[in-house]
Amino acid sequence: MAEQLAIGGLTKSFGGLVALDAIDLRIARGELVGLIGPNGSGKTTLLNIVSGYYAANDGQVRYEGRAILGWAPHQLARIGIGRSFQVTKVFRRLTLLENMLVSGLADWRESRAAATDRAMAILDDFKLTHLAHEPAANLSGGQAKLLEFARIMMLSPKLILLDEPFGGVHPELKSFMYDKVRAWNADNVTVILISHDMGSIFGLCRRVVTLSYGNIICDGTPEETRADKAVLEAYLGDQHAA
Amino acid sequence: MIRRNSFKAAGAACLLLFFLGLPLLGLTDYWIYTLTIGFYYALLAASWSLLVGYVGRISFAQAAMSGLGGYVSALSVIHFNLPVAGGLLLGILLAGLIGFAIGLLTLRLHGAYLGLTTIAFGEILRIAITAEHGVTEGSRGLQAPALIPGGTQLDYYYLFLAITVFSLLLMWLILRSRIGLFFQSIREDEDGAASLGVDVTLWKALAFACSSAFAGLAGGLYAHFVQLITPSMMSLQEMGFVLAMAVVGGFHNVLYAALGGVMLQSLLEALRAFGEWRLVIFGLLAILMLRFAPNGLFGMLADTLRKKGKSHG
Amino acid sequence: MSLLAISEQAINGLIVSTFYALTALGLAIIFGVLRIVNFAHGELYMLGGYAYYLAVTALGVPPVLGVVIAACALMAIGALIEGLLIRPVHQGKVDRPEEYAIMVTFALSILLLNLANSVFGPWPQRPAPLFRGRVEIGELIISGDRLAAAGTAVLLISVVLLALRFTWAGRAVRAVSQNRQAAEIYGISVARVGMIAFGVGAALAGLAGALIGPVFNVTPPMGVVPVIKAYIIVVLGGLGSIPGAVVGALILGQVESFATILIPDPSRALAYKDAYGLIVLILVLLIRPQGLFGTRERRA
Repeated sequence: MAEQLAIGGLTKSFGGLVALDAIDLRIARGELVGLIGPNGSGKTTLLNIVSGYYAANDGQVRYEGRAILGWAPHQLARIGIGRSFQVTKVFRRLTLLENMLVSGLADWRESRAAATDRAMAILDDFKLTHLAHEPAANLSGGQAKLLEFARIMMLSPKLILLDEPFGGVHPELKSFMYDKVRAWNADNVTVILISHDMGSIFGLCRRVVTLSYGNIICDGTPEETRADKAVLEAYLGDQHAA
Repeated sequence: MIRRNSFKAAGAACLLLFFLGLPLLGLTDYWIYTLTIGFYYALLAASWSLLVGYVGRISFAQAAMSGLGGYVSALSVIHFNLPVAGGLLLGILLAGLIGFAIGLLTLRLHGAYLGLTTIAFGEILRIAITAEHGVTEGSRGLQAPALIPGGTQLDYYYLFLAITVFSLLLMWLILRSRIGLFFQSIREDEDGAASLGVDVTLWKALAFACSSAFAGLAGGLYAHFVQLITPSMMSLQEMGFVLAMAVVGGFHNVLYAALGGVMLQSLLEALRAFGEWRLVIFGLLAILMLRFAPNGLFGMLADTLRKKGKSHG
Repeated sequence: MSLLAISEQAINGLIVSTFYALTALGLAIIFGVLRIVNFAHGELYMLGGYAYYLAVTALGVPPVLGVVIAACALMAIGALIEGLLIRPVHQGKVDRPEEYAIMVTFALSILLLNLANSVFGPWPQRPAPLFRGRVEIGELIISGDRLAAAGTAVLLISVVLLALRFTWAGRAVRAVSQNRQAAEIYGISVARVGMIAFGVGAALAGLAGALIGPVFNVTPPMGVVPVIKAYIIVVLGGLGSIPGAVVGALILGQVESFATILIPDPSRALAYKDAYGLIVLILVLLIRPQGLFGTRERRA
């Protein structure tokens, strides 16, 4: 598999707090990687840097060979990096279709008609067609998460970053979302998944990267991770502190 | 959906017919003049609502941009011998350019900080124009050449109506295109919009430019209509007036805001007897609208009609 | 410039600073607790001036009592405004709270200004000052009323700063300013603190207006320029930093006094006086939005 994302020596600090400490990570195209770690370990920070929302203090990130540190989020979206957010960022006063169209029409090459057709097809796939003309504010929490997934699909991304997508989602919807993630992956789309929900991590991912205090302390299969001493200490230590 | 659109089109057509026919109902010159000024405010209120209602970027510099357009137009006609149309164009361009610059500078500002900064920019413009009275005549007032030499009140009325309608049409075209979607996505959630490929920086700046350009147009028209302008047209009191008009009309929709402009200007004249109390009433109306009917009067009306339409199938 | 002239400028700057500081302090408290910029602050300042004027001129009350009455009146008005217009924001009754708060206080400022115009008329009033006469320090002559007003302002500022530091109410105000939710969890009634904050903020603005009235006249638009100065100060000092407001006031007072010298043509120099502060405001917001002492708020 070709290497898609190469992170080298990535460092990020907020004032005196070091969130990421010279992280090295390589991810190949088509991987389904889980990113776990106790609160404050740097998971979301890593995602935010790769998707262009944070600047880094040091290091580099290469995506498909291009150095992308310093690129704006919208530029990264255009070259195929999509992401979801821990707290959903759907456009509440716009309809579901309009939410989708923002994604599709940001590429000026596509006509509104073509984008609308694509959008409706995706909404159909997500069983949200009946709500296409409803404002997104009327969606339940789980449906909003689905909409975020659907919007990402409009980008036809090659790398998807998911930040706690299953938080507060009820089991039936969750398994629907699992299927979607697997379907993406089957299509050779790389997925990096942050989740505190170990069921989703072990159920979906073939590789798990564990962060603690800004360092990668484990990088292996779910089974290896589960047995790793450092990982247990990171989590159990956290429990002791709590 | 199609029925709703044709309903909206019919409504707009009715309004147009109404304003076209109004002078023929035997209105005095005074009222025709008042309505013409009303169209100035309609344009100003609509341009403000474009920025605040659709893009969600609060600005208190609208009146200042209008004044900028007015002074640039008047001065360029006087000193560079441009035809009035050329002056207007220059006013639009300069207002748009400065609007773009302010939009870029204020990228990272939001809410009250953004509002404060726009107040600062607007006030600096007003102070500069007042201070350079050698060029602008300052508070004594600058005389601007007439838009239509020898034109009657009726001439001006229809010209202003035409330009206002044309501008609203232009705004509508922009807002229903993908640009309108980008604007609204920025209002709803900037980070989310960026994650979907929207160049938030560019569109924020362009929105400011667009809004300011229309304000500059309004100011230029005003200058060559009343033919005497002072820096008071750029004051925060004027800005408050525009805000009240857009809020009362409905600042999430350019047409409602425009109607709010005409309505409040007419009300201002109709309630002449109340003197300064008129502005107290407008302030109160604006507060009540903001608190209880944020969609404005015409927004409420439209919502009511829509509900009735739904219940009748 | 002679030493005497510089001293005069500096003292003038200091005196003006105290009034700015008092107004800014009120704004800072309101922002700190309620997280809204009160665009009607200038009109509260103006109403304080009129309250003092009415108390002293119409009711014939001694000036010191007039100042007290102005403070009480404005505290009541502030609490009323907070309850009617601002509290709904924190109770979730308003659709778009940030937009609403900005626009509603702006509309309120228009209402109050024109209300004053209608009720009192546009003519300037000059109520009796706290202290008449002149004070001479060597060759320096300072008018007594200005000095008395400034002195009172400094006293009030000190009282407020001490109260914020040492009284329970002051600590509650600081707690809510720093972390509203945490304060609530610890049992502080944030609604009550909000009301107190707006009331105190309004009272401080009213006090500044009452003190300035005898010095510079009481007119309906008297608050329009000072409130912008207050914004500049609060932003310069750092939104959320109350001592920062005092420092900001000192800086602004001096900047205005001396920047006037920069433009050689005296009539234009004076005309641009108000613009210097505005430029400072823009520069601060663009370069260092947290001001001199404020805390930077993290984004995503």
